[in-house]
Amino acid sequence: MLRFERWFVLTLFLLLGHSAAGDPLTVVSWGGAYERSQRIAYFEPYSAVTGIGIEVERYGGGLQELRRQVETGEVRWDLVDMLLAENLAACEQGLLLRIDHATLPPAPDGMPATADFLPGSLSECGAPQVVSSLVLAYHADAFPGEKPARVRDLFDLERFPGKRALQRSPMANLEWALLSYGVPRQELYSLLSTERGLRLAFERLDVLREHIVWWEEMTEPARLLDAGEVTMASGYNGRFFDAMVDGVGIVIIWDGQLLDYSVWGIPHGNPHPERALDFVRFATATPQLTEQARHIAYGPARRSAAARVLRHTASGLDIRPHLPTYPPHLAVAIHKDHAWYARTQERLKQRFEEWLRKGR
Amino acid sequence: MFVRMLQLTLLGVVAGGLSALAAIAFVETVLWLNDLLLISARSRMMIGEGWLLIIATVTVPALGGLIVGLLCRAIPERRPHGPPDAIQAVQTLGGRLPLRSGLLTAGASMVALGSGASVGQYGPLAHFGATLGSWCSRLAGPGRYLGAIGVGCGAAGAIAAAFNAPIAGLLFAHEVILRHFSLRAFAPVTVAATVGYLVANLVFDQEPLFRIETVSVAQAEEYGIFILIGIGGALVAIAFMRTLLGMQKLAARLPLAAPLKPALAGLILGVVALWLPDVLGIGKEVLRFAIIDDAFLPGELALILVAKLLMTALCLGFGFAGGVFSPALLMGVLFGALVGYGAPLVIAQPSPVVVYAICGLVAVTSPVIGAPLTTILIVFELTHNYDLATAAMVSVVFANLFAYRLFGRSLFDVQLARRGFDLSLGRDKAILSTRPIRPYMTTDCVRLDCDQTLARVRQSLVDAGRNEASVVDAGGRYCGTITLGRLLSLADTGTSESTTVDELARPAEPVFTDTLSIWEAMSLLEDFIGESIPVVDAEGRLLGVVYEAAIIRAYLDTVHDIRREEHAAV
Repeated sequence: MLRFERWFVLTLFLLLGHSAAGDPLTVVSWGGAYERSQRIAYFEPYSAVTGIGIEVERYGGGLQELRRQVETGEVRWDLVDMLLAENLAACEQGLLLRIDHATLPPAPDGMPATADFLPGSLSECGAPQVVSSLVLAYHADAFPGEKPARVRDLFDLERFPGKRALQRSPMANLEWALLSYGVPRQELYSLLSTERGLRLAFERLDVLREHIVWWEEMTEPARLLDAGEVTMASGYNGRFFDAMVDGVGIVIIWDGQLLDYSVWGIPHGNPHPERALDFVRFATATPQLTEQARHIAYGPARRSAAARVLRHTASGLDIRPHLPTYPPHLAVAIHKDHAWYARTQERLKQRFEEWLRKGR
Repeated sequence: MFVRMLQLTLLGVVAGGLSALAAIAFVETVLWLNDLLLISARSRMMIGEGWLLIIATVTVPALGGLIVGLLCRAIPERRPHGPPDAIQAVQTLGGRLPLRSGLLTAGASMVALGSGASVGQYGPLAHFGATLGSWCSRLAGPGRYLGAIGVGCGAAGAIAAAFNAPIAGLLFAHEVILRHFSLRAFAPVTVAATVGYLVANLVFDQEPLFRIETVSVAQAEEYGIFILIGIGGALVAIAFMRTLLGMQKLAARLPLAAPLKPALAGLILGVVALWLPDVLGIGKEVLRFAIIDDAFLPGELALILVAKLLMTALCLGFGFAGGVFSPALLMGVLFGALVGYGAPLVIAQPSPVVVYAICGLVAVTSPVIGAPLTTILIVFELTHNYDLATAAMVSVVFANLFAYRLFGRSLFDVQLARRGFDLSLGRDKAILSTRPIRPYMTTDCVRLDCDQTLARVRQSLVDAGRNEASVVDAGGRYCGTITLGRLLSLADTGTSESTTVDELARPAEPVFTDTLSIWEAMSLLEDFIGESIPVVDAEGRLLGVVYEAAIIRAYLDTVHDIRREEHAAV
């Protein structure tokens, strides 16, 4: 405990020391309820302590803009909130600065950060924030009798008719399509690595082709379900939870949830590398991660933080059964193969777009 | 008795645990190598198509073959060991497997599998487990039959860990290796299988080889098709085994240095893999897709089946280290799925293709390893499905019946028979064939030089109280035998007392050479009337004689040893 507090004071001191240079930090994030939780847990406390302002920009993932900035040398972004697979890819392409995990704050009990973060969440150029999850969900009023409960129900238009809202991306859709054949979750990525596996997955998506509404904005799926435009949708569990708290009748199917990490990345050649790193150290400390999970249903990437999360502040609900890391949900989860995606996502995206065009 | 029980239990725990750890380490190393060397589907996808992938596909198996070939040069027999060696060690009541050859074979198999050779992993795992078990039994102290039990424990622990199937591990050790069910072996082998399972399941949380969701047999008539799958599977198995033995002969005739032979096989495999990557390695992805309805076209299934059969026979025949079970398993699943694709032509609404694939799996693997019970139990333990196990049972029975008639009990037994260790008439014959008659020979006999006179001969026989004398020449070479009865009849006909024996002695029928086995001695004995049989060395020099009673004692000793082992309680 003592060690932690000493460290905390030291950080504050360092942070205060930097406050003299008044430039604000430009942070890129995903908008909506998620960004709001970051504002409460990270941005506002950071500004309060250091006096440094935070300007938030919004993006929808992908590396194009980051690559453009780094390659032209006009880097405006100080910090990017990114999916782990994209962080790995960007790191390999030299778009990000390395982050020394040993300099991240230890847990309150003194456990070093490298042991406190969930296994597999640390990447060379990243510092993890939360475990998020792409899940399937349906509107509570959509199916009066039998309710969908498994991934394969997504593809069963007879028992569960209606439009589906799916993300316009190969990610998760390919996994779910192949999973619906009854293959084990653990084998998904090696099967999707074969021509036959990809063909089977796209053939299964063909079944739905005429019934899909493609979404790209994270906030879309909940809206589409609420408006009754679709009966089932894929989306981030935190966004669905937020809509549920607002009274939208959404039910999440945890079967086949695709676990992902959102991590901080610092663009190569950005104007304030030291300050960006200070922010990362501040934002990934246990108290901040704990605080964020009180405002959105994503699991903290640190064990020490996960152990402290109990209630959702706004609704007073016990948040634990709504987190992707809740043990019963974890037992049916697909663990995303981040390294695989880092290497393959551009090719997969191409193939996916070809498949989309073929249907038109 | 208590000490013995403790000794056996400890042997089971240590041998089972050690072999399970070795099996897990083996499998993990192979997976790691497959990822590193661009053999696994995942790593191939991650690197993407391009020159690097093409170069790796062709060179990795070839270089792997070269390394395997070089490693095998360090083994005394200059070939990788395998389950047949474990069977032989146990069946001859010795149970000693050399640690050095076991380690080298395991290393060679790891390289072979790691570099994508079309070979199996369970044979090497079972053999390496058996080797470790044999080593443990030597540490456990002296004790008759302990070696064989150690071998059984090691094999059971490895199979239990590799398949996540303790009962199959237990049965494998008894059905394939030990081939008897004495309580003294059964108890420690059960302990070993359980420990192996616990190590794999609780300590390391290994995933099972394949998971199959609940399915059941839809129509009763389908059992008819399962019988046909059994017969067809036997034919596939026989085609595989004959091709493999043929490739071995071809390799033996090939004018190439031994380490270059597996390298050549690897090169051919790599070229084929450029066009059909499914032949690389164990083919886990193919296995998975084959049990999904309509994942393949029937033509694709047949093509991969034939390619896998040829490539596996090539790799193993040309000296790659590795097993036959995994490739046979894949061929069986492909064959069963092929039949399953045709089932709707005969039966309305048949079961899902996975049921047929499982029947094919057992129908091909069981004749290859000669273990019907083990394969049924593997299916049961992997799927936890009575329906599937029952369907598989039907296929297994017919597969084994056919294969036994047309080929032999298993590839292992046929390989052993070709090395002169024939288990087809049971182990009695096999053991009698390996034990020499020499220890039962005695030098306590009447031995005469050929220039002795008739009178001297008679005196010598009377003095010794014997009926027969062996006559040798100046060089000690055996010339013939003369009996007291013949001396008497010669005296009656008035033959001169001064006649020398070399004119009178007749070569006895039969004469044993000193390398003769008890079994051969017994079969030569069939028409023998007399007291003793002379034993000569390679140059024809007389070494001694074997009395008829000694041969009977040799037989009884051996059979008694076998029965003692097979019926021992503790």
